[in-house]
Amino acid sequence: MNDSDLGTAVLESVAEVRSATPVGQIIGRGRTIRARRRIPQAAGAALTVAAGAALAVTTISSGSSGWPSPATASNPGSASNPSGARLTAWTVAKQANGDIHITVNQLKDPAGLQATLRADGLPAIVSFAGPALSTSCQEYPVSRGDLQSVAQFHGTGGITIHPSALPRGAGVFIFDRPGTGSPANPLPAKAPGGTPPLGHLRTARLAPPTLPTGGPLAVGLVYASQQCTG
Amino acid sequence: MGVGTHLPDFTEFYRNAADECLRTVMVAAGNQDTAQELVDEAFARAWASWRTVSRHPAPKAWVVRTALNLGISRWRRRRREVPVADPSRVTDLAAAVEPDRLADPRIMAALLRLPARQREVVALRLILDLDTARTAEMLGIAPGTVMAHMGRAMAALRHDLQPELQQENQS
Repeated sequence: MNDSDLGTAVLESVAEVRSATPVGQIIGRGRTIRARRRIPQAAGAALTVAAGAALAVTTISSGSSGWPSPATASNPGSASNPSGARLTAWTVAKQANGDIHITVNQLKDPAGLQATLRADGLPAIVSFAGPALSTSCQEYPVSRGDLQSVAQFHGTGGITIHPSALPRGAGVFIFDRPGTGSPANPLPAKAPGGTPPLGHLRTARLAPPTLPTGGPLAVGLVYASQQCTG
Repeated sequence: MGVGTHLPDFTEFYRNAADECLRTVMVAAGNQDTAQELVDEAFARAWASWRTVSRHPAPKAWVVRTALNLGISRWRRRRREVPVADPSRVTDLAAAVEPDRLADPRIMAALLRLPARQREVVALRLILDLDTARTAEMLGIAPGTVMAHMGRAMAALRHDLQPELQQENQS
C-alpha cells in the first residue's frame, strides 16, 4: 500500500460525513457574536477586565434598552434627572428561571439596590462610590469565563445575573469605577486571610466614563458572608 | 458596507466548505460531535467577520484554524475537570466508536492513535488538501516539520491499517 492508496482510504473514510447545521443557524449565531462586539461601540461603553475577576461596561443616564420596564420590574428605584422628570435609577426583575435582570440608569440608591437583590436571594453588595469596601469583603478568585457565566452585560447598564452559576460561597459585587477606575476611597492595605482586597484588582483596559456622574459599571465576585453580602 | 451585503457570498461559501471543514476538524479532533460544534462556531465567527475572512487567501483554512483554536481553548478550560484519555493506551477504539457514525471506525481509530500534531497535519494535507507550505504556515511550524509529521503519520497508519485493508481487498 503506497501513500496515495492510504491517503485515498483516509479521505474515503470520512467522505460520507456532512455538516448537519443549516446556514441560517450559523448566521443567527454570527449575528449574536457581531452584536456582542458592537455593544461597546454603540453605547460608548467598553469592557473592562480586572485581573480575571471583574468586567465592566459604562453606565448610562437613561433610555430604553429592551429590558424590563420600570412598570414591570419587581423593585424600581427612583431618582430625578436634570430635567426634573422622574427617572428610574435602577430596576430589578427576577425571572421565572431564577435569573435576575438589573438595569442601572443612574448611580443612585445603592443600598436600595443591594437590599432588593438580597431580598431576591442573591448574596450581593453594591457600591456606587468606587470599589472601596471594608475588610470583611474579599475578592473571590474566578476566571473571566466563569465570571461571564455568572454576570452578563447587555447594552448600557443592563446586567443579567445567573445565580445558579454562582460558585458556592461566592457573592456578587456590583460597583462603579469613577474617573479612571481608581478607588474613590482608600482601601485597607491588606485583607485578612491573605486574599487581596478588591481595590487591588488590576485593570487591563479601561474605557473613559461617559458620564460625569459615574464611570463604568463593573461586576466582580466576593466571598459571601453575613458582614459582606448579607 | 455591512456584513449583510456579503450574505450571498457567505452562504455559498458555507455550502461549499462546510462538509470539508467538518471532515478536516473531525480528523484533527477525533470526534464528529465535537468537530460539528467547533466548526459551527468557527463559521459563525467567520460570518461575523466576513468582510475580513472573505478576503483571506484561504477562508476554509481560516475556519479550520479557528475551529482548532476553539478546541484548544475548550480543552484548556476543561482539563481540570475532565480526565483526558491517553489515546495511545486505547487498544480498541474502533469498538468504542458508535456504529451509526458515518466515518470508517477502523481508520478513525488509527487516526486517534496518532499524536495530535500528526493528526492535524494529516487532516490539513489530506482532507483540506493544503500544500506543505500552507500547512506549515497554518500550524506555525517549518515545512520540513510538516513533512516529517506527515511521513511518520503515514507510516503509522500503514502499519495499523495495511493488514486489514489488504485482507478486505483480497476478499
